[in-house]
Amino acid sequence: MAVPFSAASAAYGQAQKLISGTTGLSNPAEKPTAGGPDFAALVNESLNSVVEAGKTSDKAGLEMISGKGSVVDMVTAVSETELAMQSLVTVRDKVISAYEEIMRMPI
Amino acid sequence: MSDFLKSLNVAASGLDAQAARMRVIAENLANADSTGKTPGADPYRRRVPTFESFFNSGTDAQEVRMGKLMYDLSDFEQRYEPGHPAADANGYVKYPNVNPLIEAMDMRSAQRTYEANLNVITSTRQMVGQTLDILRG
Repeated sequence: MAVPFSAASAAYGQAQKLISGTTGLSNPAEKPTAGGPDFAALVNESLNSVVEAGKTSDKAGLEMISGKGSVVDMVTAVSETELAMQSLVTVRDKVISAYEEIMRMPI
Repeated sequence: MSDFLKSLNVAASGLDAQAARMRVIAENLANADSTGKTPGADPYRRRVPTFESFFNSGTDAQEVRMGKLMYDLSDFEQRYEPGHPAADANGYVKYPNVNPLIEAMDMRSAQRTYEANLNVITSTRQMVGQTLDILRG
């Protein structure tokens, strides 16, 4: 199977865009450089956007409890956070399993 | 923002609109017997919710919201109750033009539309989840 190595970095870029897009945060237009975005940056930025979305849903939840917010807003905010979280966790698991596979490679 | 998230937001706007409609129906039903206080005074007039489509530039999608609340201009019901404080010279009291049957059907319609929007949200979440499941396999 001839998959060019640059496909991996393209996947990083896609995942980064997906997760930061899921939370509605605008990613500072980051052109993938020759090496592409690295994994640490991906996890870092994705985590930040998930945390950001989590704050929004927390706020909606608190407003809900104090009787101010609407149920719909709360459910929407929590759903968005959940989707962002799912994407992040899935991509992380996949990348880590790929890493482990590489480490198991007999040299 | 991905199309999935837009779908969630559009469906949420539908939920909000139907919730507002439900409020108007509740107002109508609760005031079905609200007469005037002085002789010949007009009673509660039934309100009719309207919906309008609008483009939400924040989510970049066509959403729905409740438009102006209109009044139902049909005639009031007249009942002969000479002892009522709101009775006119002939003993007739004007009662609101609220028909509980119509309100019940409106309520059912609001409920069904609400459910439809909830289904959109559920399906959207399922689609995202199933797509992510490809990576989990």
